[in-house]
Amino acid sequence: MDVDYPPQAQEFRARVKAFLAENLPDGWTGIGGIPESEREAFREQWRRTLGEHQMLAVSWPKEYGGAGLSLVEQVVLAEEFALAGAPAGSENDAFGIGMLGNTLIHLGTEEQKQHYLPRILSGEQRWCQGYSEPDAGSDLAGIRTSAVLDGDSWVINGQKTWTSAGHLADHIFVLARTNPDAPKHRGITFLLVPMDQPGVEVRPIRNMAGYSLFNEVFFTDARTPAKEVVGAVDDGWRVAMALLGFERGVTATTDAIRFRADFDRLLALAQERGLTSDARIRDRLAWCHSRVEVMRFRGLQALTRSLAGKPPGPESAISKIIWSEYAQAYTELAMEILGPEALAPTGQRTGGLLQMPEAGTENSPQSWVETFMSARAGTIYAGSSQVQRNIIGEQLLGLPKEPRLDSGPFRELSKQRQPKVGA
Amino acid sequence: MDFAYDSDQEDFRTSLRRFLADKAPLSKVREASETDLGYDPELWKQMSTQLGLPGLHLPEEHDGSGTGLLEPAIVMEETGRALTASPYAACLLASLAVLRHGDADQQAELLPGIASGETVATLAMAELASPAGITGLQTTALSRGAEVTLTGSKTLVEHGHSADVLIVSATGGDVGPGQARLYVVRGDAPGLTRTRQEAFDLTRPVAKVDFDGTPAVPLGDAADLTDLVDLWCTLLSAEMIGGTEACLDMAVAYAKDRQQFNRPIGSFQAVKHRCAEMLVALDGARAAAQYAVFVADQDSPEIAIVAPLAKAEAAEAFTFSAGWNIQVLGGIGFTWEQDAHLYFRRAWADSALLGTPAAQRARLADRLNL
Repeated sequence: MDVDYPPQAQEFRARVKAFLAENLPDGWTGIGGIPESEREAFREQWRRTLGEHQMLAVSWPKEYGGAGLSLVEQVVLAEEFALAGAPAGSENDAFGIGMLGNTLIHLGTEEQKQHYLPRILSGEQRWCQGYSEPDAGSDLAGIRTSAVLDGDSWVINGQKTWTSAGHLADHIFVLARTNPDAPKHRGITFLLVPMDQPGVEVRPIRNMAGYSLFNEVFFTDARTPAKEVVGAVDDGWRVAMALLGFERGVTATTDAIRFRADFDRLLALAQERGLTSDARIRDRLAWCHSRVEVMRFRGLQALTRSLAGKPPGPESAISKIIWSEYAQAYTELAMEILGPEALAPTGQRTGGLLQMPEAGTENSPQSWVETFMSARAGTIYAGSSQVQRNIIGEQLLGLPKEPRLDSGPFRELSKQRQPKVGA
Repeated sequence: MDFAYDSDQEDFRTSLRRFLADKAPLSKVREASETDLGYDPELWKQMSTQLGLPGLHLPEEHDGSGTGLLEPAIVMEETGRALTASPYAACLLASLAVLRHGDADQQAELLPGIASGETVATLAMAELASPAGITGLQTTALSRGAEVTLTGSKTLVEHGHSADVLIVSATGGDVGPGQARLYVVRGDAPGLTRTRQEAFDLTRPVAKVDFDGTPAVPLGDAADLTDLVDLWCTLLSAEMIGGTEACLDMAVAYAKDRQQFNRPIGSFQAVKHRCAEMLVALDGARAAAQYAVFVADQDSPEIAIVAPLAKAEAAEAFTFSAGWNIQVLGGIGFTWEQDAHLYFRRAWADSALLGTPAAQRARLADRLNL
């Protein structure tokens, strides 16, 4: 048993550290330390710097313009960026490079790879993900957005929602129903769709923390060429699921790093208010420390499995529950530490956050209130805790599935819906 | 990067699990626990001579196998999973005390007997006002020339009513107030009164041990015993992980088998999700216990942080799972004949031993200088 990184990985780590030291601005504490008005310009400049140094698309093979890094190098890079609080790319890169790029590399045609990959990398195209719909959340395969072939193009109608960074994107990959006569999982197609056309409308959704990070996307006779299908027509569910597997455990060890940094902020909050000698606060702080350590230990286990060539499986459902429930618990503790201070919160705003504020954000009551509010999303997005528990129960423990009411052709399903109580 | 037990260690785990399932199913555990000794000496003989368990971690010069602490941690997990009635844990902890604190002569005198299984040794540390048994002790040593005697009382001494050798913590002598040192007391020493207690945990016999001018020999001269408590917490964490796994296995097996409303109850999310939560709790605690065992084996100072952390995590996972196992089993889970309560008892007993999760977190907070 050991927890040492191989020597080559440590040499690479030193190179990444040197790169960051050389290229991050003087006095860097994180994006949160930059005035909000200057952040966008910094992000653009930083993305160019990453591109020039082969630090974007680190998981792609070199032949497609990627860095072709080994798994352990990708992990080391992610760790060092997390430790430095440095962004690894733009908000759209998570979708363009991480999701779509890797999907095209594995399942796209040569023509698609040659066309899209350089454009994603250069930033010419900014991508977002069109999966969830108002009536298809946990039941993603219940999507209703339709695509019908008309000559040599698909005509798309319907609505997507919770589309992160959709307001910044000019392309969207869409799950659309192409065969309503097939069972729900078998009539879906994965389409690549340009957004700069009259049939696509993006409307921001304001979340309960007050920020507009995700959107509704409406399709009204929107069009995309017939060839813009990834995988086969009606086989999009398989593509959608494969897409989720391409992360390959690269982030196994970064959650603990990021939550550690925010725990230090929480501890400082308690210390500034003289509350670390309060028995209850002290107990809860020790508990938070423990949970972050548990994330670190589980990360080491996951990394060990990944380096042994085992792809991440359903156990990632456990990680999702652990971090998202921890996020609620530690931000509730922040609210307890703040007490009445949280009710008219002062200080720097976060500018919006998904999991935790950007590194360098001032330790302000306002930032904690926003983090506390945002933490409610973690147990809902990317598979709710209830969906994760089904995965754990059925795939890890082998418990039987519930009887299904949604087999047979998709077209018939809406007719069979159970009546609403009280309707 | 290889943060996992290796294949030899996993093979060892598998064969030990098979051995215990075969030789010591829970029906036998119950029988053995009800005897005066509290364990089956025949089984202990096989565990010692056939499998060499008590000597695994001991140096070869003392007739041990010279493994590190990973193998004993596997034994703790598996005997915890099977609730094996044996003095393994007592001998392990006592031998670690001798190994870490005893001088060369004491090691040569005590360890070969422990390695062979002929000597049953145990740690006698806890007092009612001192769960970890290293501070605030009443038991006191008195030196008169070269002679040392102990006076006082210990509680919850595992196998304390029958052990051949007791390693006892006591204050007094030449250590400062609030400090303690270890002493070796023979089971047949004069002035020693040993009374088996009516234990809440039915599968681990414990005793009250009273000392009244009882002759004792100092074990080395260290006055800081926190390393021993950290090791004990670490190994108890491993034991609790085994127990938690057993509870989850029982609940899941029952949820797959038991039918109500024409469906296995495990198909209902109310049951399925509770089982999933048991695995979430187990998985985190197991990672913590594994890390604690790893740093203990490396003799890293990180143990001071990880031992109380792992103990608290394991105790909460175990008590949570032992309780929900009973709920999943329903009425049958509340009966004496069903084994669920044996795990429930062990869970709460282990959770309290050496200090509750809250007490562990208080130690953690101190050590982190929060």
